[in-house]
Amino acid sequence: MSTVLEVKDLSKQYSKVLAADGVSFNIDEGEIFALIGPNGAGKTTTIRMISTLIKPTSGDAVVAGYSIKDKPEKVRECITYLPDEAGAYKTMTGYQYLKFMAGIFTNDKNKAETYIKRATEMCGLEDRLNEKIASYSRGMIRKLLLSRAVMTHPKLAILDEPTSGLDVINALEIRKIIKDLASKGMSFLISSHNMLEIEFISDRVGIISKGKLLVIGKTEELKQRYNVANLEEVFERVVLEHEVF
Amino acid sequence: MKFFNLLKKELRELINAQMIIGLIVSISLLMIIGGVMGDAIEEAVSNSGDVYISNQDNTEFTESFIKNLKEMGYNVKQKEVNKKDSVEILEELNIDSLIIIPEGFTKGILEDRKTSDIEYISRIKSTSAMASLGDANTSALGSINSIISNLLMLEGYGLSTEDIGVIERPVNLKEITVVDKKSASVSPSVIIGMASAQGVIVPIVIFILVMFTSQMIISAISTEKIDKTLETLLSAPVSRISVLGAKMLGAAIVALINAVAYMIAFSSYMGGIMSGGMDIGVGETLTMSEALKELGLKMSAGGYFLLGLQMFMTIMIALSVSLILGAMATDAKSAQTLIMPIMISAMIPYMISIFMDIGTMPNIIRTLIWAIPFTHTFTAINNIMFGNWNVFWGGLAYQFVFFIVCMYSALKLFTSDKIFTISLNFGQKFKFNKSKRT
Repeated sequence: MSTVLEVKDLSKQYSKVLAADGVSFNIDEGEIFALIGPNGAGKTTTIRMISTLIKPTSGDAVVAGYSIKDKPEKVRECITYLPDEAGAYKTMTGYQYLKFMAGIFTNDKNKAETYIKRATEMCGLEDRLNEKIASYSRGMIRKLLLSRAVMTHPKLAILDEPTSGLDVINALEIRKIIKDLASKGMSFLISSHNMLEIEFISDRVGIISKGKLLVIGKTEELKQRYNVANLEEVFERVVLEHEVF
Repeated sequence: MKFFNLLKKELRELINAQMIIGLIVSISLLMIIGGVMGDAIEEAVSNSGDVYISNQDNTEFTESFIKNLKEMGYNVKQKEVNKKDSVEILEELNIDSLIIIPEGFTKGILEDRKTSDIEYISRIKSTSAMASLGDANTSALGSINSIISNLLMLEGYGLSTEDIGVIERPVNLKEITVVDKKSASVSPSVIIGMASAQGVIVPIVIFILVMFTSQMIISAISTEKIDKTLETLLSAPVSRISVLGAKMLGAAIVALINAVAYMIAFSSYMGGIMSGGMDIGVGETLTMSEALKELGLKMSAGGYFLLGLQMFMTIMIALSVSLILGAMATDAKSAQTLIMPIMISAMIPYMISIFMDIGTMPNIIRTLIWAIPFTHTFTAINNIMFGNWNVFWGGLAYQFVFFIVCMYSALKLFTSDKIFTISLNFGQKFKFNKSKRT
């Protein structure tokens, strides 16, 4: 299995805060990797660096062979990013939004049509796609955004809190979509507070706190290593062990 | 292709029903005000309208006086008064003003050789300047003393009409106004009056335009930031310069539409207020437009173009500053307060341009006010009309430099990490610091 993302000693220093401190991990093709940690742990900073939104202070990340420092424009062709609690342009209809985003990813009309068709089928919004996004519920917006994020079949989809604020049914649907796409070869980097969701969805987990990536491993391995019943307890043990509280 | 996709999206966001309705309402108002003012001025100049008189003296002398008023063009309507209280009189007759010639008026003047009283009752319904413009009674009152004097001289002292003419107007004042190297037989007060009329409306138009466009772009940028659609866009395969460029071009197109539309409405407004005829004091009647043309003060098409150019530059400055301010929003509430710096920068020259001449202020204050880029727009129309080209072009050049600096700053902001970390929310920072202390 080839490596899609290789994060190498990635750090980000804001004026007084070291938001990410030498973070390193890999994601293979078709793998779902989850980054978990408390608020302010450095998850979003790490994700933003990999998404080329902010520049790292040191270290690098290589996406599909392209460095985020040297070839950010090439990296952006290989990834899609869905921010936490993201919205969409409320004056557009769902269909117009998908068309607009498809046009951002390609100049080829046929390719754009394929992307839109794929997203239309995946989001399941049907006729509601012709209505203004302003009239959508939170769940509908999230489904629209997720289908937008994966419609180009990126090598790596980066999803920050993909199911935050959603009800159980919508959250289950989205998790199912992610699992299904991963089985077809798409790689995912997911950030979440929801340990149960991570346990269900991810292949490997990285626990981050105060900017440091403390532990990486498969959920089952981690549970065995710390001799606990679930990921929540693993998380508690890890952060206590590293005296982050 | 991607850029046009972005531009299309920006235009769709900016040109919405709210913007179109706002533009139509503002322009319609400007055109209507121009039309109304033109009509009011016309009416005032022609002295038309009804003059209500209650002739309680009823003598040959008062009848002669009323006849004179009618000959001067006043539409005199005589009324019988049965009440004593002023309010009741106006209510009974259902009018807003009345001139009462009391009993004994003629006796007082012709026999007792004393000044006699005439009563004037008027109901004030509005304090606006336009409210009294078409009031024929006010105008007729001004003529009463002159008519009575003429009658006295004619009937009481046996003077001829020619003698009266000389006594009444021994000096024929011929007023000549000079502007730069041109002159016209017109009273300077008339020109200043016209300048005041536009001096009130032009700053309002500019102020509305600046506030409207700033609010538009601050709202667009802050919404993108708060909704995180900006993060989505900037992580997509499209350059940040394209994203910023599409935003600026979209806003510039909307600004240009606004500037052109306002210029057309403004020229219609000016046409309205300048269409009324006026007595220039030498027995001739010129239109305001003709008088201004003679003095070289009439705005030519080139003048309107330059004014439009300055307005466009002003809008571009407002937009570039708004880009930076909009990026500082952290939530919808903070986005609303971010317009404050622009509002204050526009408010200062706006107020000053209405009440004072910046050119006559002390050097330090004048420099400080000129440092505000919007000042040059508020003074542009006077500079164009009076040919102060050095000040005009200097102001425009300064605005251009200011715009480049703001655009460069906006570009730096958008191409750096700061676009995601910058914020300007003093209230929240204060609360945060306070909570840390407790």
